[in-house]
Amino acid sequence: MAHVVKHITVVPTYKDFVDIVLSKTQRKTPTVIHKHYKISRIRDFYMRKVKFTQQTFHDKLSLIISEFPIVANLHPFYATLMNVLYNTDHYKLALGGINKARQLIDDCAKDHVKLLKYGDSLYRCKCLKRAALGRMVTIMKGQAKNLLYLEEIRQHINRLPSIDPNTRTLLITGFPNVGKSSFINKISRADVEVQPYAFTTKSLYVGHTDYKYLRWQVIDTPGILDHAIEERNSIEMQAVAALIHIRAVVLYIVDISEQCGHTLEEQLALYKNIKPSFSNRPIVIVINKIDVVKPDELPEDKSKVIEEFQAEGEPVLEMSTLTEDGVMNVKTEACEKLLAYRVNQKMKTNKVVGVANRLHVAMPKKRDNKERPPCIPAKIMKKKNAMEVDEPTRKLEKDIEQELGDDYILDLRKTWQLANNDDRYDTIPEIWQGKNVADFIDPDIMKKLEDLEKEEEARDKAHYYSMSESEEDEETQEMRKTARKIREKRKLITLESGEKRRVEKSRMPRPTKRSRSVAQLEADLGSMGVEIPTDADSHYVRAKTRSSSRPPLKKARDQSEAGRSRSQSRTPRDQSGLRDKKMVTKVKKIAKKAQKERNHMAKKGEGDRVILNMKPKHLFSGKRKSGKTDRR
Amino acid sequence: MAIRAQFEGNNEIGVFSKLTNNYCLVAIGGSENFYSVFEGELGDSVPVVHASIAGCRVIGRMCVGNRHGLLVPNTTTDQELQHIRNALPDSVKIYRAEEKLSALGNVIACNDYVALVHPDLDRETEDLLVDTLNVEVFRHTVANNVLVGSYAVFSNQGGMVPPKTSVEDLDELSSLLQVPLVAGTVNRGSDVLAAGMVVNDWMAVCGHDTTSTEVSVLESVFKLSDHEPSQIQTQMRDSLVDTLS
Repeated sequence: MAHVVKHITVVPTYKDFVDIVLSKTQRKTPTVIHKHYKISRIRDFYMRKVKFTQQTFHDKLSLIISEFPIVANLHPFYATLMNVLYNTDHYKLALGGINKARQLIDDCAKDHVKLLKYGDSLYRCKCLKRAALGRMVTIMKGQAKNLLYLEEIRQHINRLPSIDPNTRTLLITGFPNVGKSSFINKISRADVEVQPYAFTTKSLYVGHTDYKYLRWQVIDTPGILDHAIEERNSIEMQAVAALIHIRAVVLYIVDISEQCGHTLEEQLALYKNIKPSFSNRPIVIVINKIDVVKPDELPEDKSKVIEEFQAEGEPVLEMSTLTEDGVMNVKTEACEKLLAYRVNQKMKTNKVVGVANRLHVAMPKKRDNKERPPCIPAKIMKKKNAMEVDEPTRKLEKDIEQELGDDYILDLRKTWQLANNDDRYDTIPEIWQGKNVADFIDPDIMKKLEDLEKEEEARDKAHYYSMSESEEDEETQEMRKTARKIREKRKLITLESGEKRRVEKSRMPRPTKRSRSVAQLEADLGSMGVEIPTDADSHYVRAKTRSSSRPPLKKARDQSEAGRSRSQSRTPRDQSGLRDKKMVTKVKKIAKKAQKERNHMAKKGEGDRVILNMKPKHLFSGKRKSGKTDRR
Repeated sequence: MAIRAQFEGNNEIGVFSKLTNNYCLVAIGGSENFYSVFEGELGDSVPVVHASIAGCRVIGRMCVGNRHGLLVPNTTTDQELQHIRNALPDSVKIYRAEEKLSALGNVIACNDYVALVHPDLDRETEDLLVDTLNVEVFRHTVANNVLVGSYAVFSNQGGMVPPKTSVEDLDELSSLLQVPLVAGTVNRGSDVLAAGMVVNDWMAVCGHDTTSTEVSVLESVFKLSDHEPSQIQTQMRDSLVDTLS
C-alpha cells in the first residue's frame, strides 16, 4: 500500500501521548513565577501554558487525522480491502473520535483562558491552569482505545503489499491448495509460502515478472471456498476484493487431481459462482497438476467437467507447477490476452492519438543514387557472427584500477598510436623560451630543416662566409678615411683647449693620511728618553668635545607637556613607581595585552563587578528577625 | 546491442562520451568504470581514448565527429588537441573550429554521410564540416528545437528524434538524412536523446534509467539486434501503446 498511503507516524498510547504533550509544555514554556509579580504577568504566564498545551494536543491529533487515509478517497480496491481488514465503520469511528477530542480540547482551552482573565491571584491562576490541563488529559483518556486501534491499523497498513490497481496485473485465484502460490513462485521473484494444507496463503501477495519489455504485476490471492458471500471470512474476502476491483487477467486455477480436497464439479461450480464478479475481464482457466493425472486419462464423468470448462468460452490451458510443464505457456497466454484487452480499451480513448508519432517509423525516400552503407569494422563483424565468444576477456582499465587501489594513476599516453613507440613517454615542453611550443609545431619541420641545411651548405661552398670585408666599394672606403681624419682632429682640439684653460698656480699638497699622532709622539719621545706626562692637564691630550661633556643647564622640556612646567613631585598615577619612560610604555603595553583577550571575547573583565553567589546559603537559611541579616 | 551505463551516477552519458565508427572519446572521471564499459565492448577493434576539452568533462557536447574526422571547439588547449591527435588513428582528420556556438556537439548532429546543423552556424564552420567530416550539411530544426545536436541522434543505420516531432517532420527528416527515424525517449522519458545515449553502427550505450521498452525501440531502430525498424509498428506496438498512454 506504500504508493497509496504515505508514511504514517507512530500513534502513541494514551499514557505516552499525555506524557509527550505535558513534558513538552514544561520544556517549552517559562517555569518561574512569583506571587509578587504584577497580576497581568501572572495571568499571561498561566494562559500561555494552557494555550501551549492545547496547541500541542491539537497539532498531534491533526497529524493523526491527516495521515490516515480517507476511505472515500481511496481506489475502490483499497477501500474494500480496508473494509475487509479493519471494518471501515470502526475505523471511521476511531478517526471521528480523535477529531471530536481535538475539538473538545480546543473548547476546553478556550474556556479556561477566558476564566484565567479573571484570576486575581497566583494561586487561583495556578488552580485554573491545573484544571484546564487536567480536563484535556481526561478528554484524551477517553480516546485511549481509539489510539490503540489506530496504531494497530498503522502497523498493518505498513505491511500491506504495494499493489498498483491500474497496472498490468495477473490475478491468480481458485480453491485453496490448487497450486496458486506455486505458480506465482514459478513465474515471478515472489517467495510465497507453499504448504500442503488449505489457507496457507492468508493475505494478498505480489510478485513481478517481465514479458514483452513490460513489467507485470502478479497477485496471489488466498483460496476461496464455494459458499455465499455473507459466509466468507476476511481471508477469502481479500481475494474477492481483488477479483472485483482490479482490472486484471484472472487465472482460475483448477486442480485436476482433486488432491486439494475439492472435486472437479465443485471447482466448476465455484467458477460459475464467482464469474459474474469479473465478467468483463479477460479470463484464463488453468488446469494444474497434470503431472499427477493426465487430462486424457481421466474417467469419463470427470472429462465431461473439463469439457464443460472448455464450453465456457475461455481458453483452457494445462500446466504442472511441479514439472514446470506449460507454466510459461500459461504466462504468455495470460499476458497476451490482457495486453490485447488493455490496448483495445486504450484505442477507444483519445490518448492514443497523442502517441501516434511514436508508433510511426519514418522510412527514407531515396533522394539521390548515393549509397550510404553502414561501416562496421571487420573485427566487430567477425565477433558478431561468431556464435560463441571464447576469447579470453581482456584486462580492463577498471580491473587495473581495482588491483592497484590508491596507487592507480591514469595513463593517458597508453592509447597513443605513434610511429615510434619509444617516444611515448618523452616529456614535451609546453612553453620554451617564453614561446608556446604548440604554435611552432609543424609536420614538415624536418623537411624544412633539411632545406635550410642544404642552403647553408651551398653558401659555404660558394665561400659566402670567407669573403673579407676589404672588398668594399670605393665610396665607403673614402667615407671611412674621412671619418678617421675627423676623429683625429677632434682629439687634437680637445687637448688644445685643455692647455688653454689650465690654472697657473701652485697648490698645497694634501696628504691623504695624517702623519702625526699622540701615540707616535709618545713613542718617538720615549725612544729619545723623554718622559711625557699623560694626565689631563697635558696640553696635547685631546679634549672631550664640549657638547657631550657639558651638563644641560636646564631640564629639557618634554614635548608632551605644553605650557607650564609641572613640579617634579606630582607623578601621574599611572606612572608612579615606574623607573623611566621606557618602563611606563612597557607596563602599559603589558596591561593592554592582558586585557586583549577579554576585549576580544566581549566578556567581563576582572575589574567588572561580579557576584559569585547571589544567595549565599549561610546568609539566607534559618529564621530571621529584624537586624540579623548580616550577623549570620 | 545496447548497453546501459552511468557516469559517476549520472545517466546523461552522451554528455561524457563521443562514440563513432572509428574511435570513441570518454571523459576523464574519478574512476575507470565508465571507461571500461566502452573498453570492454570496443576493446581491440576501435581506440577508446580518455579526453578532455577545454578542461571540461562534457566532451560529448563540445565536439562533433564521425568516422572521417573530429571537430573540436576553439577553447580546446594545445595539449588536449595534441593528446587526441596522438591517440586517434591518422586517417581521422582533426580540426579546431573557430565557431561562436562553441558547444559543437549541441548544435551539430551527424553520421558518416550527413549532418544536421543549427540554423545559425557560421558558413566557415559549415565548410569545415564538409572538408573534415565528408558530410552533406543541412540546416534544420528538430521538433522546433534549434539544438539539433542535443535532441537528435542518428547513425548510418537509423535515428531517433524527440517525441514531440510530428509524423510529417519525421518523414521529411528521414528523407533528408536517408535513415529510418523514430520518435522516442531514453532514460525513462527524457527527450534530450543525444545527452542520454551514444550510438554507432553496431552498438549503443544509454543511461542507466532507460526502460526495457526504450531499449528495445532503440535496438530495433538502430538495427543493433536482428530486428528491423518496422518491428516497432508490428510486434512492439502493443507494449508501446500500453506504456505510453
